[in-house]
Amino acid sequence: MKDLVRQNLLIHVDILDLLNKQIKQEAQSSAAYLAMASWCDHNGLVYSAEFFYEQSTEEREHMMKIFHFINDNGGTTYSPEVSNINHDFASLEEIFETALDQEIAITKSIHNIIYECRNKRDLTTENFLQWYVKEQMEEEQTMRRALELFDLINTENVGLRFLDERIKEIREEANPE
Amino acid sequence: MNTIYTSKYFAASQCDNSRRFYIDFGHKTVKFSLCQLLAFRHRLKSIDIEQHLNGENTHGLEVVSLCNREHLFVFNTLEILDLLSLVDGAFAMMEINSVIA
Repeated sequence: MKDLVRQNLLIHVDILDLLNKQIKQEAQSSAAYLAMASWCDHNGLVYSAEFFYEQSTEEREHMMKIFHFINDNGGTTYSPEVSNINHDFASLEEIFETALDQEIAITKSIHNIIYECRNKRDLTTENFLQWYVKEQMEEEQTMRRALELFDLINTENVGLRFLDERIKEIREEANPE
Repeated sequence: MNTIYTSKYFAASQCDNSRRFYIDFGHKTVKFSLCQLLAFRHRLKSIDIEQHLNGENTHGLEVVSLCNREHLFVFNTLEILDLLSLVDGAFAMMEINSVIA
């Protein structure tokens, strides 16, 4: 009997399911960053707003990269449903803490898929996901750097505006190229 | 035609010449490409079977369209459970075949 699955599909079927879940998680993350950007915009934190608009776009790009990887290799992708996006935040610090938690969750999820790739001997997907391992390291570094600012700067009154202006430099520091 | 897996009500097979999969639904046999089979599998796995068992799904039926709406099926709870076992069994068998092929 011919191996028709392998003829059509380079990715292991179980890994395909995990990648589709990852697509949903990236979409959820992109939408969550958009909500954070909106909150910052409404509260006059223009640099933080810009930062989160860019984060939202980046997460969507991450999603699309997986989307194309699946379709290019014979799999089937499912456009994700996104729901339950939180728009209520008490402070900018809470936003960055939530953002860091979100990035940690994505990192864990990527690592779990790689462990599964190894179990299923899906080396192609593992190789593809290595880019995400490095990317997630940078994303976490960026969020941690932002949170460190709250330890250094008093955010009362003009301090918050000063901190907001520093946010635009964080990404440049984390990604110097 | 090679039989891949047979559940209580349904049977999955593949044709090496046409490189297509077939599911025998009893009264009708439907031809699938791999993409269509994966989409069918996804549709089945998206069904909230809990709702069938706790009474939230009062009629106990699911309407499932296959292969770009070429076919329309109405399945009851037992058939859905059987189809889930069919696709799981079929993909497990195909994985074993992949190892020995």
